[in-house]
Amino acid sequence: MTYVVTDNCRGCRYTECVTVCPVECFHVDDTMTYIDPENCIDCGGCAPACPVGAIEPDYRLAADKKFWIDVNRKRATETPVISARLPPLPGADERKVALGR
Amino acid sequence: MARTTVVGACPHDCPDTCSILTTVEDGKAIAVRGNPDHPFTRGRLCVKVNNYEERVYSDKRILHPLKRVGPKGSGQFQRISWDEAVETIASRWTSVIAEHGAQAILPYSYLGTQGIINGLNVGDPLFNKLGATVLERTFCDSASCTAYMMTIGHTPGVDPESFVHSKYIILWACNTLSTNSHHWPFIEQAKKAGAKLVVIDPVRTRTARLADWHIPIRPGTDAALALAMIHVIIRENLVDRDYIDKYTVGYDELAERASGYTPEFASQETGIPVDDIIKLAREYATTTPAVVRIGVAVERHAGGGQTVRAIACLPGLIGAWKHVGGGLLQLPIWAFPVRWDVLMRPELQPEKMRVLNSWRLGPALTGELGFDPPIKALFVYNANPMAMVTEQGKLETGLAREDLFTVVSEHFLTDTARYADIVLPATTQLEQKDIMFSWGHLYLSYNNKAIEPLGETVSNTELFRRLARAMGITDPTFFRSDDEIIESSLDWSNPVLQGITLGDVMAKGYVRLNMPAPADWAPHREGNFPTASGKCEFKSTIAGGGNFVVPLFRQGYNGDQDAAPVDPLPHYIPPNENARTAPALATRYPLSLISPKSHAFLNSNYGNLPAQTAQAGEEQAVLLNPGDAAQRGIVAGAPIRVFNDRGSFEAFATVSPDIMPGVVVAPSGYWQRSNRKGATVHVLTPPAFADLGRAPTFSDILVQVSGA
Repeated sequence: MTYVVTDNCRGCRYTECVTVCPVECFHVDDTMTYIDPENCIDCGGCAPACPVGAIEPDYRLAADKKFWIDVNRKRATETPVISARLPPLPGADERKVALGR
Repeated sequence: MARTTVVGACPHDCPDTCSILTTVEDGKAIAVRGNPDHPFTRGRLCVKVNNYEERVYSDKRILHPLKRVGPKGSGQFQRISWDEAVETIASRWTSVIAEHGAQAILPYSYLGTQGIINGLNVGDPLFNKLGATVLERTFCDSASCTAYMMTIGHTPGVDPESFVHSKYIILWACNTLSTNSHHWPFIEQAKKAGAKLVVIDPVRTRTARLADWHIPIRPGTDAALALAMIHVIIRENLVDRDYIDKYTVGYDELAERASGYTPEFASQETGIPVDDIIKLAREYATTTPAVVRIGVAVERHAGGGQTVRAIACLPGLIGAWKHVGGGLLQLPIWAFPVRWDVLMRPELQPEKMRVLNSWRLGPALTGELGFDPPIKALFVYNANPMAMVTEQGKLETGLAREDLFTVVSEHFLTDTARYADIVLPATTQLEQKDIMFSWGHLYLSYNNKAIEPLGETVSNTELFRRLARAMGITDPTFFRSDDEIIESSLDWSNPVLQGITLGDVMAKGYVRLNMPAPADWAPHREGNFPTASGKCEFKSTIAGGGNFVVPLFRQGYNGDQDAAPVDPLPHYIPPNENARTAPALATRYPLSLISPKSHAFLNSNYGNLPAQTAQAGEEQAVLLNPGDAAQRGIVAGAPIRVFNDRGSFEAFATVSPDIMPGVVVAPSGYWQRSNRKGATVHVLTPPAFADLGRAPTFSDILVQVSGA
């Protein structure tokens, strides 16, 4: 099992998740964060910390979101670890409202 | 829609005792999360508890009393009323007592919930009053507790939060990220500040993968390593002579004893290269502050107690205790001023009690132990022995006895509950109140009730009030309310609770004991060990009294102790079962088996729930080294059989270099019912006790593996 970052992160990238992760398993690119499934200890701390509800455990993902498991796994190998919070992406707050969060 | 947040505490037998925030909407719990304000929880729970509300509302919950209507073990039950259940129990117990005496009744429990009022001792007053057989509960850390008491006393040891100041951290038989995960950020912070992290474990665990140095060790040989470290430290004069002179006893005898435990000897036993043993000893002795965190697994073999004795000598030898973040961490539970006597009520006991060790339940029920009177009534709560106890085959035979009257109080129809005559419905932590110690940090916690009990479930405190009433007990102390028990369960006048009120703990959900801050506290800088001498006892004063189990694990009873002679100096007792000590056995069963905690289960808790079995795998997996697998023609994912003379179970192979050659790993917690052959790993585990505290020897076992 692992937790998985999904589409709500894209364009927001609040990175609150990294402040709670105890094992530095978040990676980042220009648009969003990814969880390294090899390091995730399934603690679940990141899921309620995310302002836009982008993070879920893999077993709870809806069928049309299961592909994010592979995306996280792949992108975690291609992108750097993020260990401190970054400023949200421009427009994040508007997007959060649009997402109804 | 009324939405509230209720602060509680995790009930599980885990060192972390997390502060939990439960969101309640219209009387229903809709989510739980870790409390972001709690300094140890830090907003996180774990894979076991993240979806605790799904445990509470599981359609598998037992919500009403049940009576058996099919053969024992068939799982066929019919709903009955609480009145009928309690009357049946009281009348059966009364006739058992009349015919056989009260010793024919056996309570069986441990820490299915760890709350002070609903946990370890909640049934003790009733069973002490009845004069039932005492259950000696040596499930966990019993060898360590005895060894600790013999060496440095029941001290909380190093504050887990002081680890941020450590520069050399040894996690010894402790998979922190799976079984103590809220301690990790403190270790991580120390690492970032330059600390070196060493993990000693036969398996390259999640934790070992993040260490600076992982030292694989043959199961059950840890004392050889610890004694060789002592040998090197003394030989190379890396000792703290001043600390030894002032605050320890028995140094000369220890030095003489350790002279025989050379790195070469330890290397042969442990499989660790000589140079690595020397390097470990030197680094540990010369890096300040140095700290050791031992896990429970370190005791689970023939010499487990003396292993902890040897490890507990190390910090005194190098004066590690002088520094904040230096010393040893085992169980900070000893910091909590719990009034165990008030909870256990040993004064109610008849002068002579009969004692049964918890690991011998199977042979006790089959009659093999020759008990007179035999066990005729069994009362199980806070425990699932069928899944977790040694000699599983015997237990199955014993529980199937038609003349045995078995009652089980549970959340679910466990492997054990299936054999019950009466099943009673128990509350989960969200449906009850409790006050909690911790054995992994220094915060007293309060668990506020979040929701009303589902169905007809009752807390353990209420269960025992009902049983006491039905048994005709009139002593009013048996009928105290939960609030009264909570109030009386702690010594509020103790300095660590000065300035703290129960109201404070209830409102906030937790409070740090009134102890020095983690940044300032070196508990044994100037000795002050709670031992007979007040010093760290390399040579133990109380060893002369022989082997014992701390009375806390025996309903407060201190009679009929093991009392086997104990060498007052730490020494190496090799495993009962390995290639060096049992070569003939090893030709048939060449692999050592260990059965650590599953990442997703808490003992057998969650072994039946979908989220956790999705993580752990629906069925038991067994890890093998690629060489051992290839030698047997076993490929990853293949069905395999694991067996020895005691029995066999089936599993699926996981092949990984993370496990050292010659060792196989079967994570425990799976239920019989989820195994293809209806057996768990404990069908193979041995009945032998460790040298101290009657701990089990789960990591001291030879098996063979073949394709199924």
